[in-house]
Amino acid sequence: MATIQALTDQLKKKFGNAVTGVENPSATQLFIDFKKEKVREICNEVLAQGGRYLVSVGTDNLAKDGTLGLIHTFAFDKEHYFLSLRTATKESEPIESITPDIPNAGWSEREYMDLLGMKFTNHPKPKKLVTADDWPSDIYPLRKEVPFNIKPLAAENVAYQLDECPEGCSIVPFGPYHPTQHEPAHFALFVDGETIKGSDYRGFMIHRGVEKLAQTQISYNEIPFLAERICGICGSVHAASYSQAVEIAVGHKISRRAEYIRTIMLEIERVHSHLLWLGVAGHLIGFDTVFMQAWRVREPIMWLGERLTGNRKTYGMIVIGGVRRDITPELKQDILNVIGTIEKEMITIKNAIIGDTAIHRRTKDVGYVSTEDTIKWSLVGPVARARNVDIDVRRDMPYAAYDEMKFSVPVVDCNDVWGTVLVRVLETFEAISIIRQALDKMPNDGPILTPFEDAVPAGMHGITAVEAPRGEVTHYVITGEENRPERWRVRAPTYPNLQGVPMMLLNNQLADVPIIIGSIDPCFSCTERMEVVDLRNGGMKVMSQSELEALSRNKR
Amino acid sequence: MWLTSKIKQVLLVIKPGTVTLPYPFEPHPVPEGYRGQPSWDHHKCIGCGGCAAHCPARTIFIRDLCQDLRVMVYDGGRCTYCGRCADVCPEKAITMTKNYELATGSKKDLCTTMELFMATCNRCGRCYEMETKNAIDRMNLKGYRYDNLEMRAVLPVCTEQFDTGMLAKSDRFKRPERIGE
Amino acid sequence: MDILLIVVNVVVFLGLAPLFEGIIRKLYAKVQSRKGPPIVQPYYDLIKLLGKERLTPGNVAFKLAPMMAFASIVTVIMLVPLGFKVNILTQYADIITVIYVLTLGGVSVLLGALSSRNTYAMVGASREMITMIMVEPVLAMTLIMGALKAKGLAVSTSFFSVGDTGYGWGVALMLVVFLMALQAFVGRQPFDISEAEIEIIEGPFIEYSGPYLALFKYFMMIKQMFYAFLFVTVFMPFLQTGYYLANIGTQLGGILAVVVLISLVGSTNPRLRIEQAVRYYAVLILLSLTAVGLTVYGI
Repeated sequence: MATIQALTDQLKKKFGNAVTGVENPSATQLFIDFKKEKVREICNEVLAQGGRYLVSVGTDNLAKDGTLGLIHTFAFDKEHYFLSLRTATKESEPIESITPDIPNAGWSEREYMDLLGMKFTNHPKPKKLVTADDWPSDIYPLRKEVPFNIKPLAAENVAYQLDECPEGCSIVPFGPYHPTQHEPAHFALFVDGETIKGSDYRGFMIHRGVEKLAQTQISYNEIPFLAERICGICGSVHAASYSQAVEIAVGHKISRRAEYIRTIMLEIERVHSHLLWLGVAGHLIGFDTVFMQAWRVREPIMWLGERLTGNRKTYGMIVIGGVRRDITPELKQDILNVIGTIEKEMITIKNAIIGDTAIHRRTKDVGYVSTEDTIKWSLVGPVARARNVDIDVRRDMPYAAYDEMKFSVPVVDCNDVWGTVLVRVLETFEAISIIRQALDKMPNDGPILTPFEDAVPAGMHGITAVEAPRGEVTHYVITGEENRPERWRVRAPTYPNLQGVPMMLLNNQLADVPIIIGSIDPCFSCTERMEVVDLRNGGMKVMSQSELEALSRNKR
Repeated sequence: MWLTSKIKQVLLVIKPGTVTLPYPFEPHPVPEGYRGQPSWDHHKCIGCGGCAAHCPARTIFIRDLCQDLRVMVYDGGRCTYCGRCADVCPEKAITMTKNYELATGSKKDLCTTMELFMATCNRCGRCYEMETKNAIDRMNLKGYRYDNLEMRAVLPVCTEQFDTGMLAKSDRFKRPERIGE
Repeated sequence: MDILLIVVNVVVFLGLAPLFEGIIRKLYAKVQSRKGPPIVQPYYDLIKLLGKERLTPGNVAFKLAPMMAFASIVTVIMLVPLGFKVNILTQYADIITVIYVLTLGGVSVLLGALSSRNTYAMVGASREMITMIMVEPVLAMTLIMGALKAKGLAVSTSFFSVGDTGYGWGVALMLVVFLMALQAFVGRQPFDISEAEIEIIEGPFIEYSGPYLALFKYFMMIKQMFYAFLFVTVFMPFLQTGYYLANIGTQLGGILAVVVLISLVGSTNPRLRIEQAVRYYAVLILLSLTAVGLTVYGI
């Protein structure tokens, strides 16, 4: 058991004066400052103590003390706290990469190479990740001096260099536009016959500058609405996560009733998201009837959302300090009726698909990843729980009103796509039970919104995780001046899971690619929330129809 | 196993029948509290600018033409229909209507322009409500910056989508001579 | 009079194939709790596609392929005994010709796919090729069984063999195998592997648009109707009434029943992977060989 005290002692003992500071503002937060030379050793020690890597946060402190900050965050699930390892480096000095030990840190580090101009040594794949191919290599968009609306000139003839294709394989492009993917992302599959021998991913084609925008343009109270639009499916999750991060950073307490309403909204979202995924999974294996039926069952909950919040998906319900609308007794009855119907229908669906050997043939032993690899790659959510990794931040790091809810976390050891189907179906029933409990136990009085009394102090750190339908969402907030955060880092569940996809694809059939990519419920927009508008053709040349046709016909 | 599943699937399918809505041919009713197109009641508006200060998408824009005349421009083309403006309005002058069929050939159809005559405090020169209770004091909202001149200067920059023509128009705004012009 | 029968053949097949497609779409919609498109939607689709611009990213084979496919299927439907009545063309062809010309349609699809030089089309073409190699034998065995039963290679002999010489265990087995292969013949789930919209984006047809795509679509619809027709003619000789027009009516009724079966199976099954499908086809080939063997011994 690496409790906060034990871990602090251990790190201090082992690394002596490399550890320069320890902060423990609350029972769930531990911040440790250290010298950058020891970064790899300390991270390895934390892993050995049972830490689970979450995400890295890069910050720009150049104006303050001439350094670039780097924060590696870890979760200690059994001990219920988050650990943030903070370090800093001079602009010109490189820092050692932790990717060789923690493969999932690969993207975070590549992100800060692109966005902050950090330098990492020993990074196994130091390629461009976030910025466009023709983005100038000396503009680091997340730095404070770079304006949020900068538009460098577009360049021609720059293209991403794919990884080396293995001998005897041919490249099948999957994307950027492909019916499997609802958003642009490019997978290059190295295919031998119909078997996949490797893949390379080039995504981040739809950055919308969400974090930069929040840090430069809009204020605390407006960010929840921006956060909600990070994802079209799990919007409330991001709004809740951001609001919690700010509340934790400042130590603000919201009313119990508001916490219950948040819980109910998050679980309603889970029910709708899992049904949506079930439908999409059916579609991906060519079983459109499952698609249509799952979405038919899902529709009442969308209408319920409309009645509760005024909109069927972007609820706009959760803001800093609480929620915007109350759940009246009539609405409570309404919720109970709707989830009752959905539960009945879900049982029918479950019985209909659970024994369908035709579905088994397409999902069993597809996308196999061993439990060890799952832990090594820090995969999250149903993807991890389908591979026998028992993590769920609702239980491990209770937030909102989850500490009073009784629910089980479905974990199966199929290690394949079928497991994710099972986990998601079972979780839907748990979500329905949580909604019932929450409605039952919800206190009848109390304000739904507790706004801040004073201005938010600057320089406070807060990290929180919320279990989204796809896995956990991690938000890290550093409060700042001018009524807006100085740094706001969003890590959507697809961010770690997508890094595990090449591993899942290996040695599978081409026909299984859609369902494997689909099994992590990818949300490319969530993953690519970062940074400045990525316009390939910033110059905006309008082409006539004939020009376009000529271009497309002469492509070979 | 396979057959029983198929039978269950067929049973699942038979029960609900056809659920497709005849939507474009029949209107689809929306519930109470729906967040549709916002609408402004110029009788109630006191021109405080709370909506402009709180709009996350920066679609509401307020400008003083002179000491007595304040113009509000709402650009519905970028509105996210979050309903924040209606929440913060101290006079409940903004309502989120149930109108959601907003497709149009011209973006202007989605925009609202409103001109307000303001009473001005003789002492400080600011606009205020002319009744006994002062609504601006009652608002007591965080981040309230109706008179934040710097932000106003930034606005056209940060919203490239903002209709520049409309801004220019609000600059040169002239009262119509006759009603309906 | 001779010409008239051929004209009736062509009109019935060309005119009604999209209708059966429309019925399938409607049934899919019903199974999926949807309202679905109007039954005549495939006609609209074809007309619209035919009116569109022609885009040819490939070489001349790209243009030729859809026409070849369409021509081959029209050739086949001209000589089949619609209404259980042979026409003047039927005597000039035997079952080998029918199999050849039908295969030519599949080959045209391959040709079009290969000449479009698209990666997905290549994948689709290889899948189509495997499907063709594995499924065509079932068709061949069905016709050969008829030929063996009635001792003659002529189309009429083979098609009417069950009616002329009666059912047997071989025929019963072949009937089951044909039904099992039906989805593969018409390219519906679980065997729409070569098109697989979500994996390889319609595979062989990815580069096709406008009139060329219309020809391919029409080809697929007629092919679908032809296989249903073949089943009805060979295995349901009891539908004969003795009157030509009534025969056409009963045959169309039979086709409708087969189409309903196709859509029910298609809408309640996911797509298989190619290697899973190949194992399935291998079983079908073995079974159909068995059926032919049984027939040889007169069982």
